[in-house]
Amino acid sequence: MRPAAGDARRIGRVAVAAAAEALLVALALSSFVFAAFRWLPGDPARLVLGDEASDAAVSRLRGHLHLDEPLSSQYLRFLRGLMTLDLGDSFRRPGTGAMAEVLSALRPTVELSALAVAMGATFGVGAALMATGPWLRPALRDWVDRALVLGAAVPLIALAPVLTWALAARARVVPLPGDPQAGLEGLLFASGLLSVPLGAHVGRVARAALADLGREAFLTVARAKGGRPLRVWLLHALPCVAGPIVTVVASQLGALLGGAVVLERLFERWGLGTLILQAYAARDLPVLEGAVVAAGVLFVAAQMLGTALHAAVDPRVRGGLE
Amino acid sequence: MRRRWLRLVPIGALAAASAAGTAFSRGLPGRLDPQLSWCGPSWERPLGCGEAGVDLLALVSSAERGAMALAIVVGLVGFAAGTSLGAAAALARGTVERAVERTCDLVQAFPSFIMALAVLSAVRSPSRVYIGCVFAVTAWAPFARLALAQTRSLRSASFVEAAAALGRGRSGVLFRHIVPNLLSVAAVQLGSTAAAVVVGEASLAFVGLGPPDGVSLGGVLDQGVSAMLRAPHVLLVGALAVLATSSGLLVAGRVFQAEPTPR
Repeated sequence: MRPAAGDARRIGRVAVAAAAEALLVALALSSFVFAAFRWLPGDPARLVLGDEASDAAVSRLRGHLHLDEPLSSQYLRFLRGLMTLDLGDSFRRPGTGAMAEVLSALRPTVELSALAVAMGATFGVGAALMATGPWLRPALRDWVDRALVLGAAVPLIALAPVLTWALAARARVVPLPGDPQAGLEGLLFASGLLSVPLGAHVGRVARAALADLGREAFLTVARAKGGRPLRVWLLHALPCVAGPIVTVVASQLGALLGGAVVLERLFERWGLGTLILQAYAARDLPVLEGAVVAAGVLFVAAQMLGTALHAAVDPRVRGGLE
Repeated sequence: MRRRWLRLVPIGALAAASAAGTAFSRGLPGRLDPQLSWCGPSWERPLGCGEAGVDLLALVSSAERGAMALAIVVGLVGFAAGTSLGAAAALARGTVERAVERTCDLVQAFPSFIMALAVLSAVRSPSRVYIGCVFAVTAWAPFARLALAQTRSLRSASFVEAAAALGRGRSGVLFRHIVPNLLSVAAVQLGSTAAAVVVGEASLAFVGLGPPDGVSLGGVLDQGVSAMLRAPHVLLVGALAVLATSSGLLVAGRVFQAEPTPR
């Protein structure tokens, strides 16, 4: 069936709505950052310089940060800075643009999180297929279910340090990911840790969706036509549950980014989280604002990518939305 | 029916253990004994010592109580705000209902840990009240969402119509007939919200944004990571405490849930 002109218009409308919502989330997050520094008790300039600084130095910094202007013009200046990717110089390293530091930290975090999403989705879908399909004995399938529940319930903050201690420090089967020589293996270990909670959530949702689907007539037809179980489940069943899988990945993205910050701190690995924490410790406001907004934009971009993927896999979404 | 109440046992046992731990160690969690730094478990100090000889039993017990109190307060605030907002929105229907639903979507999609980092880094030393407020800003959304979905199916139930026909006002219907029917679903969410707060607080303290007195499960984990090879017991104690608290809260949330019918 060829898509009609109305379809194209509908897709366009959905895309515009998604982009508008993404922009709204990014704007909300950056406004939150802006407001937090100006409304919470305590003067940012005083926070940067410390208690011993003279009033003259504080008021000079206030002028430099434009804190003495009315809030509305400060806010416009902040938004303009975000649009033009220019938030001024870093306090900690004068001469380096805050945005340059943020961009250099973005890559390791993107690598870590993207790999974790890929691994988590693969593990989760694989486990769900194992728990639903005919390959394992029923008792083993129940154990897969139990493992998924356990994986979703164990918090990363408890799991990651213990596994690092056991595998990297004691058994030495994997390198410490913060080690510059760790390379790909270290990255794989770190994103493997990060993917455990995500994979378990994906597995539970995919398992439930596949179990609902199992008795559908079209799968019986596919089996009756002689399709092997692997073909039936992978080609016929899996695309139908893409929706719930994408939704659960999207809903876990915020937690994943938080987990990335924790892991970067655990492994002393360079990334957005490390940058945020360093900028916090050094009271480096431009870098801090830029890094938090970058984390928000990364999150929003990943969510939009998820929506696009969902539409690409599932024709019901392409035509049926709205 | 009676077995359901057993789901409160793990968290109750944990609370009792933390009270007993404080009573047994008799010390303040902040007392230091530098010559006992990183010493292993002994009869005097059953969980061993951490950095600068801080008694882990005292530290973990009091951090545990702090985390549980924070989690329960944030969970109850989110429950009260979210459930009433969601149920009221579903009763109001129309634009209000759609607006609340979209807001829930937005808030639930928010990377709340990043937001907590941003907000807390703006204050000099994040106290427990600040940490609780930051979590409460997003905690109400899942409750509102659940209440909305449940109320949608309840609002056309005949007992609700009957109550309205017999002259109960809108708030009467809401609080006497709708909200009691939401409790079992909301309690599950209360458990998982509380568990998420425990984990979130520990994570914040782990990355260095904990309460100023350093009494937090995340602080214990941070000490454990820095002395991973010398004193692994610190790391294990911290991780087990986080795990036990969060899963205890998760299990406790299912207290009103019916037993699954046997197949």
